[in-house]
Amino acid sequence: MSGHDSKYFSTTKKGEIPELKEELNSQYKDKRKDAVKKVIAAMTVGKDVSSLFTDVVNCMQTENLELKKLVYLYLINYAKSQPDLAILAVNTFVKDSQDPNPLIRALAVRTMGCIRVDKITEYLCDPLQRCLKDDDPYVRKTAAICVAKLYDINAELVEDRGFLESLKDLISDNNPMVVANAVAALAEIQENSSRPIFEITSHTLSKLLTALNECTEWGQVFILDALSKYKAADAREAENIVERVTPRLQHANCAVVLSAVKMILQQMELITSTDVVRNLCKKMAPPLVTLLSAEPEIQYVALRNINLIVQRRPTILAHEIKVFFCKYNDPIYVKMEKLEIMIKLASDRNIDQVLLEFKEYATEVDVDFVRKAVRAIGRCAIKLERAAERCISVLLELIKIKVNYVVQEAIIVIKDIFRRYPNTYESIIATLCESLDTLDEPEAKASMIWIIGEYAERIDNADELLESFLESFPEEPSQVQLQLLTATVKLFLKKPTEGPQQMIQVVLNNATIETDNPDLRDRAYIYWRLLSTDPEAAKDVVLAEKPVITDDSNQLDPSLLDELLANIATLSSVYHKPPDAFVTRVKTTVQRTEDDDYPDGSESGYAESSSHVADGVTSPQASSSSVPAAARQADPAPAPAPVPDLLGDLIGLDNSAIVPVDQPSEPAGPPLPVVLPASTGQGLQISAQLTRRDGQIFYSLLFENNSQVALDGFMIQFNKNSFGLAAAGPLQVPQLQPGASAGTLLPMVLFQNLSTGPPNSLLQVAVKNNQQPVWYFNDKIPLIAFFTEDGKMERTSFLETWRSLPDSNEVSKDFPGAVVSNVEMTLDRMAASNLFFIAKRKHANQDVFYFSAAIPRGVPFLIELTLVVGVPGVKCAIKTPSPEMAPLFFEALETILKI
Amino acid sequence: MISQFFVLSQRGDNIVFRDYRGEVQKGSTETFFRKVKFWREDGQEEAQAPPVFNVDGVNYFHVKVAGLLFVATTRVNVSPSLVLELLQRIARVIKDYLGVLSEDSLRKNFVLVYELLDEVIDFGYVQTTSTEVLKSYIFNEPIAVDTARLPPLGPAAIFMQGSKRMPGTAVTKSVIANEPAGRKREEIFVDIIEKISVTFSSSGYILTSEIDGTIQMKSYLSGNPEIRVALNEEMSIGRGGRSLYDYRNSSGSGAVILDDCNFHESVRLDSFDMDRTLTLVPPDGEFPVMNYRMTQEFRPPFRVNALIEEAGNLKAEVIIKVRAEFSSSITANTIVVQMPLPKYTTRATFELEPGAVGQIADFREVSKKLEWSLKKIVGGSENTLRAKLTFSQESHGNITKESGPVSMTFTIPMYNASGLQVKYLQIAKKSSSYNPYRWVRYVTQANSYVARM
Repeated sequence: MSGHDSKYFSTTKKGEIPELKEELNSQYKDKRKDAVKKVIAAMTVGKDVSSLFTDVVNCMQTENLELKKLVYLYLINYAKSQPDLAILAVNTFVKDSQDPNPLIRALAVRTMGCIRVDKITEYLCDPLQRCLKDDDPYVRKTAAICVAKLYDINAELVEDRGFLESLKDLISDNNPMVVANAVAALAEIQENSSRPIFEITSHTLSKLLTALNECTEWGQVFILDALSKYKAADAREAENIVERVTPRLQHANCAVVLSAVKMILQQMELITSTDVVRNLCKKMAPPLVTLLSAEPEIQYVALRNINLIVQRRPTILAHEIKVFFCKYNDPIYVKMEKLEIMIKLASDRNIDQVLLEFKEYATEVDVDFVRKAVRAIGRCAIKLERAAERCISVLLELIKIKVNYVVQEAIIVIKDIFRRYPNTYESIIATLCESLDTLDEPEAKASMIWIIGEYAERIDNADELLESFLESFPEEPSQVQLQLLTATVKLFLKKPTEGPQQMIQVVLNNATIETDNPDLRDRAYIYWRLLSTDPEAAKDVVLAEKPVITDDSNQLDPSLLDELLANIATLSSVYHKPPDAFVTRVKTTVQRTEDDDYPDGSESGYAESSSHVADGVTSPQASSSSVPAAARQADPAPAPAPVPDLLGDLIGLDNSAIVPVDQPSEPAGPPLPVVLPASTGQGLQISAQLTRRDGQIFYSLLFENNSQVALDGFMIQFNKNSFGLAAAGPLQVPQLQPGASAGTLLPMVLFQNLSTGPPNSLLQVAVKNNQQPVWYFNDKIPLIAFFTEDGKMERTSFLETWRSLPDSNEVSKDFPGAVVSNVEMTLDRMAASNLFFIAKRKHANQDVFYFSAAIPRGVPFLIELTLVVGVPGVKCAIKTPSPEMAPLFFEALETILKI
Repeated sequence: MISQFFVLSQRGDNIVFRDYRGEVQKGSTETFFRKVKFWREDGQEEAQAPPVFNVDGVNYFHVKVAGLLFVATTRVNVSPSLVLELLQRIARVIKDYLGVLSEDSLRKNFVLVYELLDEVIDFGYVQTTSTEVLKSYIFNEPIAVDTARLPPLGPAAIFMQGSKRMPGTAVTKSVIANEPAGRKREEIFVDIIEKISVTFSSSGYILTSEIDGTIQMKSYLSGNPEIRVALNEEMSIGRGGRSLYDYRNSSGSGAVILDDCNFHESVRLDSFDMDRTLTLVPPDGEFPVMNYRMTQEFRPPFRVNALIEEAGNLKAEVIIKVRAEFSSSITANTIVVQMPLPKYTTRATFELEPGAVGQIADFREVSKKLEWSLKKIVGGSENTLRAKLTFSQESHGNITKESGPVSMTFTIPMYNASGLQVKYLQIAKKSSSYNPYRWVRYVTQANSYVARM
């Protein structure tokens, strides 16, 4: 080769394009090759060289592989913008796909699959069919991936031409590379389809486990990830699977190790023998720790995963806390994660060691890290009662160094320690007060003021201390103002002398008349009224005993943790968010079956429905519309209701007594979200979702008995909810033998047991049977199920209603991730959910659509969608007499747009 | 699967860009670079971006290799360790083919790089990252770049510094480049590289110690012969009873207890349990034969003592002593000792030992750090640094808490702390005249070597 490739980047004085054109048509091979290289160079720096399309394609017919590859690279880039010219290349492609050289055959198929032009797609089918059956494994493995490419462009074509069957055949191929690609392709296709395409049976399972041993490292990850969706029938099968996966823990590739860990954790849920479980925990510990010897980037991923694992199985790494000690040269993102895990693993046994580390970290340079270390000491104090005193003395030592941000952070955590151990450590208050005037962060100030107010009777000069803050009251941030207000009231109630009396006047005056903050004003008025009408009552309220706090600040909600653990070794486990919270695929080539379209029950439904669920749980597509509310939010807003309350409510209701089970079941069709995982329900798994059929609302339920005993006598009960949903009849579930499952459709009625307060989507359910304790779970009420069939409005009445509703009834929201790429399909989908199209208009480059809908008791929704077809970002504005329903409505809309 | 792969320079220039699925918008490189450059969290001051993050539904993964950012994007819930590992491997494969990994070499060889990327990933799915396997599909030839001034890459690169015994060019040789003479030199490199982490308490007691080791191999043997590597026979894996291990001399050949180890996929372990030998047919390119981790106690190569004392009004004195506790036949090189000083330090003057050669001591005004670098330290010797500090304000009386810890970086060739050894390296080839060069090299480097105060 002559010279450097970089010379192709240089420009010439004579116009570049004409010169290239000339060179591309040169009679000399070398010159042509050089010219194509120059074209590619221009392409990679973003220059438009599409005008050379014909000339480049002319170079395609060559025996020189190097040149051919370059031309193909060009084609992939520009074919889309020149679809008519791209046809010129088809003949060569088809010819190349039959070339005696397997590299050329594979290259042709690979490239054709990357050219997303409809006309080319038609010609791709025959070569692809041949290549899937090629003698050469390199060609077959390329063809396997090509099926996934084609499915992405035209799913129907793939199904019609029987490519899915060919792909499934490749799972039994004798070349592991081919198997791995077939698995990857099938897994992707399954993810984008609502039909069961790639189901892992025990037969495929054993085939894939065998292939696992011969695969490349990457193939092993594909296979392990696909297999992790498999649900073993019983503990024995689970143990068998684990046994065959365990050797993967020794792999040098971290991705293989983590995927193996995921698979083992999943199967462990089913294993009942404690010995086996203990042994597995022991085996997993060293490889998990070894991940921390990899590059820092991988360490980060490993630590985020370990964080989840130790929440479920703390014993695995209980003895390994030392490996989580921060290294001097760890990147900050690694240090932060290590701290979090150290807190989780801290125990009475190792706390001294841990505190020594934290103390050291608290004097390091990085401010964020130092703050987190100080907070960690506080959290350990709250977590470990016996170590609290030691933690506090470390905090005091740190305060004495007088580094400003350390002092402030320490005061914040000491406030929490006081909340956890009331009336125990007040002796240190004097030390804290020394730092009073250095505090400048709102949270630290507020914490200090809280401490002074809370212990006013023991601090001699509490009034002086508070008074010093009062001067700047109007300038303080609201967090500090609120604390000052409360602390002054506390002081006054505890020491009703002249000084505090004057102070309270100043504060109440400031907080009522001279503030714009409604929270502050309201609180001040309440205090004022309390103090003026009944000071004793004020004492009872303001000085009431506070509930003791616990350290759950970084503990995940159990249902979220379940979901995240099922997603170990995926992005979800790094973000600690369920997949549907961040997965937004732009293109979707899905023929999604609507809820209404599900075929009504046939006898064969049983076996199928259970496998549906297995797929549904793990595929983000299916779960996007179905994960229970509590699991979906990173911050679990509706805290699980305390059990006795719910029970009380349930028993106290007389309009629908607990309903017995006495009739045969009706099989359910759709993959339902799991609301009670088997791990929580002692083997009983319940999946459920509200759906609408023929104008009526049903609760579609699937019961799966993974326990060792037969279960019968099922009953169901609903707690009060925003829509007053209640069962309209008895729950019909037959006796469930171990391993059996049954689905049912429970008819529901509305407005039976309404809860008060603003509407929310929380549905609390209790299910009992004769063998187990009562199970409680939370489900989400999808507003979709409530849109009635008679929600269509005439254009004129739409306009009238829109005008008659005041502007305050209009609520709008942006959906930045949503895309409408096919208007007709979207309208169909909306209509299927009883959102009726009224009209459309153009506004600048945007389309504006109007719809109407209604929910029971005739509450209408007038909807306006503004969007640009094919571009992410949909703006939705609604007008309705019940604007408080807007959040629920937007959730429903998002589900529809996302499909 | 991944959507796009790209390589950016430190300034954010686009060096390589390949889109595999067309589902992430074009501006992703700029979005990524802006986000990484100005990473902030919770309104805090600038911090280092984590290797995985999400912006507007697009997930970005990145690793830094040889000063370049290797980035992948995706929209789906992929395995992050797979993507990050893949990015590292792509860097390694490119380095294998180009000989050197740098902005310059990537730009000069962009055609070859794109050819590689097309074989490594198809539609976002990894196909292979084996340099060996890729050889049958790659037709472009690399263009050599000037290696003299380039920063070397990979663990084995540390052998290029200093020591004359190492054939420096071998490490920057492309796997497919032909020697000028037309005949390839038959040689194989086996490097035992250990990174050690030790934390000393203020009283000199060892709080934590750990060894991360790798046996790295790079083979230039023709005809892919089978190779047997024998390790210490007295080696056990997995800690049984903790705190039972006895104190071993680091150079002795006593029992080696590894906490855990893993192996490259080409390694066969048929007789490993019996006689601790590994059998493999080494693929082309540089690769780790075995990774291991050890927390068994070992003698740390250096003892560090640091002391800071007030010496009159607004003045203090620092003494740092470094003692090399290894054999005098061994020399450590490129040693740097660092110590953060109290924030209110304004000036520092240094006093090195008389006759000290190749030592520089410096006070970094901005970071308030003392930095002492030594070209080399011979085994058994002791080096001392004295510094006089001037403060701008009174200390709070706890000057020790406000300085330190002392950290150290170093490289010690021909030394290994774990005691793991390659007993022999057998190359199965019939001909008696066949006698390729075998290089078995040991090196120990500091990972996190810290003495608290």
